[in-house]
Formats: sequence, structure tokens, C-alpha cells
Amino acid sequence: MRSLDQPGMNQALSTGRRGPLANSGRSALAGPAALVGVVLAFFALLSWSGQAPAQTQETRAGTRPAGTQLAALTAGQTLYALHCQSCHGTAAAGGRAPALLDVGPAAVDFFLSTGRMPLNSPTAEPVSHKPYFNGTQIAEIVAYINSLDVAHATPGPAKPVVVKACATETGTCPTLSEGNQLFLLNCAQCHDASGAGGLLSHGYVVPSLRQATPTEIAEAIRVGPRPMPNFGPGQLSNQEVSAIADYVSYISHTPGQGGLGIANFGPVPEGFVGIVFGLGALLVAARLIGNRG
Amino acid sequence: MTPPRAPKVFTGTHGPEEGAGTGTPWPDDVPPDQDDTWYPLREDPWRARRMEYVIACFWGITALCGVGLMVFYWNGGQTQVEGALMAGALGSLGAGMVLWARYLLPGHDVTASRGHHVSDPRDRAAVVESLSRGTDAMMSRRGFLVKKVLVPVGGIFGLALIWPLASLGPRPGRALYHTKWYPYARLVTEDGRAIRVDDIMVDGILTVFPEGYIDDASSAAVVLNIGDRQIQARQGQGGFEVVSGADGIVCFSKICTHAGCAVSLFNVISMQLICPCHQSTFNILQDCKPVFGPASRPLPQLPLGVRADGYLVALSDFVEPVGPGFWNRSGD
Amino acid sequence: MTTPQERRAARKRSEREEMALDWVDDRLGSSRWLRLAMDKIFPDHWSFMVGEIAMYCFLILLVTGVYLALFYTPSSALVVYHGPYKPLDGQSLTQAYESVINLSFSVRAGLLMRQAHHWAANIFMAAIAFHMCRIFFTGAFRRPREANWALGVTLLLVAMLEGFSGYSLPDDLLSGSGLRVVFSITQSIPFVGTWASFDLFGGPFPGSGAFLERLFLIHEFLFPAVLTGLLGGHLAILWHQKHTDFAGPGKTERNIVGSRLWPQYAVKSTALLTFVAAVIFALGGLVQINPIWIYGPYTAARASAGTQPDWYVGWLDGSLRLWPHWEFRSLGHEIANPFFPGILLPGLVFAVIYAWPWIDKRLFGDYGEHNLLDRPRDKPLRTALGVAALVFFADLTLASASDIIGNNLQMSFELLIEILQYGAIIGPIVGGFVAYRACLALQSSGAHPVQRPVGGVIMRDRRGGYHTVAASHNGHDNGRAEGRADGHSDAHNDVLGRTGETVLERVSDGGRVPGD
Repeated sequence: MRSLDQPGMNQALSTGRRGPLANSGRSALAGPAALVGVVLAFFALLSWSGQAPAQTQETRAGTRPAGTQLAALTAGQTLYALHCQSCHGTAAAGGRAPALLDVGPAAVDFFLSTGRMPLNSPTAEPVSHKPYFNGTQIAEIVAYINSLDVAHATPGPAKPVVVKACATETGTCPTLSEGNQLFLLNCAQCHDASGAGGLLSHGYVVPSLRQATPTEIAEAIRVGPRPMPNFGPGQLSNQEVSAIADYVSYISHTPGQGGLGIANFGPVPEGFVGIVFGLGALLVAARLIGNRG
Repeated sequence: MTPPRAPKVFTGTHGPEEGAGTGTPWPDDVPPDQDDTWYPLREDPWRARRMEYVIACFWGITALCGVGLMVFYWNGGQTQVEGALMAGALGSLGAGMVLWARYLLPGHDVTASRGHHVSDPRDRAAVVESLSRGTDAMMSRRGFLVKKVLVPVGGIFGLALIWPLASLGPRPGRALYHTKWYPYARLVTEDGRAIRVDDIMVDGILTVFPEGYIDDASSAAVVLNIGDRQIQARQGQGGFEVVSGADGIVCFSKICTHAGCAVSLFNVISMQLICPCHQSTFNILQDCKPVFGPASRPLPQLPLGVRADGYLVALSDFVEPVGPGFWNRSGD
Repeated sequence: MTTPQERRAARKRSEREEMALDWVDDRLGSSRWLRLAMDKIFPDHWSFMVGEIAMYCFLILLVTGVYLALFYTPSSALVVYHGPYKPLDGQSLTQAYESVINLSFSVRAGLLMRQAHHWAANIFMAAIAFHMCRIFFTGAFRRPREANWALGVTLLLVAMLEGFSGYSLPDDLLSGSGLRVVFSITQSIPFVGTWASFDLFGGPFPGSGAFLERLFLIHEFLFPAVLTGLLGGHLAILWHQKHTDFAGPGKTERNIVGSRLWPQYAVKSTALLTFVAAVIFALGGLVQINPIWIYGPYTAARASAGTQPDWYVGWLDGSLRLWPHWEFRSLGHEIANPFFPGILLPGLVFAVIYAWPWIDKRLFGDYGEHNLLDRPRDKPLRTALGVAALVFFADLTLASASDIIGNNLQMSFELLIEILQYGAIIGPIVGGFVAYRACLALQSSGAHPVQRPVGGVIMRDRRGGYHTVAASHNGHDNGRAEGRADGHSDAHNDVLGRTGETVLERVSDGGRVPGD
């Protein structure tokens, strides 16, 4: 079993510094909520960087939750307490597992939507899974953890919204070509040119991308769920991330023009098919034509 | 007027030796009475006719598939359908032919003599005589002309004939010792965008080239942000990284030192770069020392600097040759 | 019973045939040769057809290859793609890559022909490998066929290079990585490595602009000519020496039993050709192979997971992955790592393979001529060594797929490669040992290793015990169901004489009623 090793984006916090809400019980949250909301609004203004992406829209990091979402926050808090708190600590400040206080909504959403969290056991390795929560529950947990995001210098990436650039199959689609180039340069070495997955050192299996939604892909690119590296806005713009997600979606859902894809792993399965089915069929034919013994 | 000819039925005279003339003596390991015109349905004309109809059906399928191919091709073609129709056409053709041969055509289980694949001893003696007629004269005076003159001359002239092979390519010269990285070259992406020191987040990786030499095969490099981790630099490569706040920017050659593939897999947990071709694994924090796989030399590190306007630059070329080893490469 | 009309038609046809053959003989004097050809006998065992399968694959490769050559542009000049495949739209591609994309998506049946060509190459190599194993395990390389063995091994080698050069022509990411490895292996040769690699590629990697043209010439003209010539020689020797055959009733070293070329074998062989073509085109249309549009064009900065060569080069790639990271440096020179698994190992392998007929003679002290084949069990040592070699190659081929296997089995490649490294030594030893014991066991039981025995002889002795009688001499026929009329008599006489036991009854004899 591989030990979980995700110190999170800010290593200093993993030593166990606990936030201001650490010693409060759950029921005490309702009180300081207004104070937290004011602080969040202040930092939202500070961190608003003016990025207005053409393709990808993001929910703003650290946005003060509106009043109507207080119910969702409470539901999220309940879910968190039931499923996450035992490892990630009260108020997401960390414990056996890393603190979630500045990972950002994209990370939380990614891990929950792909079923990587919650883990069955603290030492298990997060792998893609059928999600444990439905969409509403995930949104509630995301909102709750987002609301706990007190002043940190670098808030984690916000949840990206990917807009499909090529609405129809006809005509040119320039972002598809851009996505192809970016994917082949940045992603194919681990995930394979066809998105079938691969293998890292120390036994980390690189997952296939064929079942991933565009949102999950964009989140993974921004978050860099370990052992995957991350690709920040200075490296890939929101438009480029959207193009990559679009391209992956395209190759995952376009049937192979040449026929059956046989696992899309390249010459290895092709050789297997050629020998076993190709030569095999011909050996049967030879048996039918010739004599035995 | 030629007399009417009866249908020819041979029994056993097709031996004795394959291809021998019809007067050749009969060997004793060939049965003298084999009926060469026999086939399984010869005595059963009704079943033979039925078999002919079956074969005709198979070949009819071939024709139908052929028509289908023409129709589909005319209408734009479709790879899967075309492949299936070709297979159907050819398979039916073959099936019909197999049935035809098996049941309706003669020539099964026939025996003949192997004969002699070597020549008659008299012929062997004669050919030796013909050859030595020449060689006796050519090798006179103990073969002086041939052994002492012609062979060395052939060697020398042969070498001259293959000498132009050297023009197939340029002399290597110092080509393997340098890349296109030059002092104060900005690091640019494949799109030509220059990279600033704060563009890459911690645990990020980016492929870069020297400005002006995008896509140059030997110059591809990866730039990483290792955060506040420390690199144990090798001798001569100390201080190549750029530290800016909580960011630690390092740059390594992307050309694997084993067989030259692009080393691009990045395991953030173990801080390793891995090559997809033969799984050479390099420990980044040990200055990309190879720790697994067939690579035996670390990836060279590029000395980095930061310009006043924040752009990352290379301070010089790599301090050692990049990529796989070669005979004249001096030791580290 | 023939009708008068049928007899008249037969007579007319016979006269026309005679006129035609006389016309030819008047000019070429070819009657004797033609008769030899038409009467030629080919033994019928199904395993003898695998060489033919390879030959027909080659034929289809030639035909489809000509078609592909009409559409391929061997140039690294850049061109901007505007075509039906949208993810490449607007990108700057080499003309070579673009021409293959064009053939795949803009030419009717282009993708079918491309894929059929590539599938044919894979099956071609598989058939050659199977054929070579059949020759090896049955001892068909023995005198007088040593030269044919050498020709065949050369065919294997050239075919491998032909396949590699062929799939490198589209200049895509996967094959380009393979070319990079070939450059590095060439570069690692001591003394001349750097010159050799620069000469081969026309400069530092990725070579000069003319490199693709060179590769195209080699693949499309030079190697096919060599293959055709070698194949012609291979068939000519076979034709002259006649095919070998398994031992059986009525078969001796001096005769040959089988189908006549005309009409039996000609029709059956043509049928095999159509089956080969059918399988190749079925795969070519229905199963995707080498989707270069997914891999993208080659640049040295890119790589993909799952970078493997085609299966028949897999053993070389696997040897590069398994070979430990040893390099030798001294006095300013070094012998780089890829030299050992990339040059020395295949050199050694092929040297042994070429020399095998002479090694075999030494090993068994058998310098005589053989037209009858061994069953693999009759030469346990040779079979064991062959199985050991196959296990070795299988281990290396598995190693080339290490990352894919690890991905599927959730294993680390570190563990997998270590297992395969030890396996490359231990596996052949174990495999050879098991094969040896299996041969000995099969010798004593007389059974067919796969089929249910048909026509075995079971004897019962005075004390009531049952014994399967051993097939102790070469001529024993394990009993074809539709065999010759005199199927078992030789075997029985021999066996009865040899056991020396008083036999109460013959209990079972090829399924016939006892006492028959």
C-alpha cells in the first residue's frame, strides 16, 4: 500500500497549524459566518486579477457565499464532518491528511467528482472511481470548504467551466488543432497520445482519459493532483486549457476511423492481434487445406 | 484426318523420377499402380454435380461482394465496409477453390521418386576438369599474379570504390558537443512565448527552447519549479538554478542520455523525470542522476539566470554534451 | 459415364492443349521442364504451408505497397494542412506526414490499403517466425538444405529492416522516436559510431532533408529487390531439392508423397492466397492499426507513453530496456550503453542462428542427408534449445511492453523489469528443461501432443495388465483418420516382434474390432 503523500500546495500548513475555527464546534460556525464573509469579500477584491478568459469561465476564488447558499453551506459542513473530517481535520485544517484550506475549489471538485475521495482507508492510493456523492452534494462540500478559505497568499485554482469550442462537426475548429498540439507536447508522454493512460515510476498508474469529462480534465490540469504536475495560468491560459479538454473529449468520443481501436495502446496490442487473430486464422485455413499428421 | 483420341488415363507411368524422360527405369519405392486421375467424387456424378453447385454459390458470393465494393466505392467509400466486403469476396473465392480441389480435382496422395538432386559422378568429374583447365593456368608459378598481386590490388581498389560512402553525410565535427543554447538566450515555449520566472507554479513543468531555435532537436529542455526543495548539484553545475521567493526554477536537457528520446514524464511525488522509451528514471533533486533503467549518465543542467524584466535566460550552453554517449565523448 | 457431347468437347479441348504446348515447345524446347513442373509433388502437411503464407503476404505487400507509393511524398519540406481531419488543421506538417494523412482521409479506400499493408507486414513477420520454428523443430535445415536455411535467415533479417523502414516513412511521433533510438544505437558503435550515424541520416539527428527520400528508396526499391531475389533463390533451391516430409507409411528417404502441382496444388495454393488476402483485408478494414493522426507529426521534444516498435522489433526494444546501465569510459573514449543490447546482442543472436545447421551437425554427430523430418520429440536436445530461445525472445518482447503491462496489471515497471531481467536467464533454462522432459515423455507414450490419439495400439498381457505400445521407430503413423489402406501393418509387425511378450489379445487397434 502506498502511503498517502499529498502535502498540499502550502507545505508550511501541513505541520499542523490550525485555523481560527479549529477549536469551535460545528454549531458555532453560524456565529462567525458573517465575519468570515466580510473577510472573504475583502480578499476577493484583492485577488481579483482581471483575467477574463474567452473560453473558460471561472467562479471567482474566495467569493463570499450569498445568503441563499447558507443552507448549502450547512449541508456541506455536515457532509464534511461525516466523510472527510476524520482525516482532513476540523475546518479542513489537516490531520492525517493534508489541509484543504488553500487547495481551491477546483481540487475539491476534482477529487470528489472522480471518486478519488473519500478514501476507504487512510493509506489507500486515490484512484478514479465512481463518485460517492452526487452533483449537489459535491457542490455543497465545495462551497463549504471554499467558505473556510481564509487569508492565504495563493488561493488554489477556482473551478473552471469549460465551454465546448466546436459546437458542430462541420467547418474548421481552430481550438481543436491548438488542443492537439498542446496535448501532444504536455500530456501525451504520461497519458499516451490516445489518452489511454500509462505508467510512472514507483508504480503510479497514469489513468486513462477516455471517461473524463472536460471539466475534470481542466481541473486536473490546473490542480496537478499528485503525482501529476500542475499547469498554472502563466503556463497555459484558460483558453489553452479549454482547448486541451476539448481535444481529449474529441478523441475519446470519435470512433476510430480505421476500425476497432483495440485498447489504443499502439503496436503492442496490434502485434498481439496480428499474431493471434491474423496468423491464427491463417493457420486454421492451412489446417483446412492441408492434411494432418 | 487424325484418328479420334480417347481421353488419356495414366496409371503409374508418371513416376519414376520426377521430370525424367518416359524411358527412365522404374525405382522400387514407387507403387506402380496409382491412378492419377482419381478424385473423391469421380464415381459419384450426382454428388459431384451438387458439389459444383455449392462451389458456384461460394463464387456467387464473391461476385456479389465485388458488386458491393463497386457500389460503396462509388458512393464515397467506407473503410470498414470495404474491408469486410473484400474479406467476404476473397474468402468465398478461396472456400470454393478448396472444395473444388478436395473433391473434384485429381492429384491427391501421389507418390514419385525423389530422383537425384546431385549430378552424375561423371558430370562432377567433368566440371572439375573444366574448372581446373582455367585455374591451372591462372595459378601458374605458384599463383603469383593472383595471390600476390590481384588480391591486394582488389583490396585497395575496393576500398577506393566504397570511399564515397563517406559523402552520405557531413563530418560530425563538434556537432554532438554543442546545442543551440547561447549566453542570455531567453527560454521560449514551442509557440515562441518567452517565459518569466513567475510563470511556472510549484510542481509545474514546461518544455522550452532557446529563442530563435524553436524545435531544434538537440536543444529541447524542460524547466521545472521545484519550490523550496534543494538540489544536490554535481560538480561543475552548482548554482545553475534560479531561486525566487518560494520558487526554485531548474532546467534540464530533455534529450535522454540513453537513446535520445524526450524525457518528459514528471512524477511529482518522487520528484523524478522518466523517459517513456526505456523507463530510464532520473532523480531531479540529485541533479537528474539516473536511478533506474538503462541510462548511466545524468541529464545535463542548463545554467539559468533572470533578466531585469523577469524573463528567464540561459547563462550559457550546457557544460557537457547532451544526449546519448558516443566514442569520443570525454568522461565526466 | 460420359455422353457423346462431353467426349467430343474433351477431344476438342485436348487438341487445343496439344497445339498450344507444341507452339511453346517449338520455340523453347520446354516440354520436359513443363512436365516436371506440372507433375511436381508437394507434401501436404498443413505446417508446410506457413512458408507459403509468408510468401503470399509478401505478394500482397508488394501490390498494396505500389498503391501507397503512388500517394506518398518522401519529403521533409513543410506544408500547412487543410483537410478533413480537424485536429491537424492549420498545422505545419512535413509533406511525408501530410501525404499519409491525405491518403488516410481524403482518398477512397486509402485507409483500407494503408492498414492492409501494415497488417500484412505484421502477419508476414509472424508467418516467417512460425515457418522458421517449424523448420528448426523438424530438422528441415539439415543437409542438403543448409544454404536454404541461410537464405531464409537473411530473408528474416531483411524483412525486419524492411518493416521498420516502412513504418518510419510517415514521419509520425511513434516511428520518429524509433528512428531516434536507431540513431543513438548507431552512434554508440566504437570508433566509427558518430561517422556511421551521420552518414546514415545525413547529419545530426533528425538528419538532413534528404533522409526521408533515402528511407523511401531503401524501403520501396532496394529491400524489395533484395527480398524478391532472395525469395527467388529460396524457392529455386526448394524446387530443385524437393520439399521434405514427415515419416509415415509408404514414405522413405527416396520418395516423395503429396499433391501434384497441377491441378491439385495449384488450386489449393491459390486458395491459400485468397485466404491470406481475405484475412489481411478483413483486418485492414475492421481493426485500426498505426493511427498516425493520433500520434501527431514527429518533433524531438515530444514523446508518448506506449512508445514501442512493431512486434517483430520488440525483442530489440526489450533488450534495451532490460540491459543494465553499464557504460565503459576510459582515456577520453566511451562505449555507450546502447551498443551492447543494440548491436552485440542481435549480432550474437543472428550469428548463432546462421550457424545452427553446423552446430546441429556437431551436436548430434549427424552429417548425413535427410529428406524425412524429425518429430520434435525425436530430438529432445534440439527442441529444448529451441524452446529456450523462444522463451528468451518472448521475455524480451514482453519487456518492450513493460509500461503497458504495468498499466494493465497495476504493477510498477521497476518490479516488472527486474522480473524480466532474471526471467531472461532463468526462463530459457526452465523452458528448455520442461521441453526436454516433455519430449522424453511423448517419446515413450507415442501419443500426439495435442490430438486425442487415434489408432493407438493397446496390448494386454497374460497377467491382465494393459500396455500402450511405444512408437519406437520413425515410421510409425499415429493414424490419420482418412489414411492409406495399408495404415498400420508395418507398425504392428515391428511392435509385435519387439515386445517379445506373449500377447493374449489385441484390445484396440485404430478403432477397428479386434481380430480384424
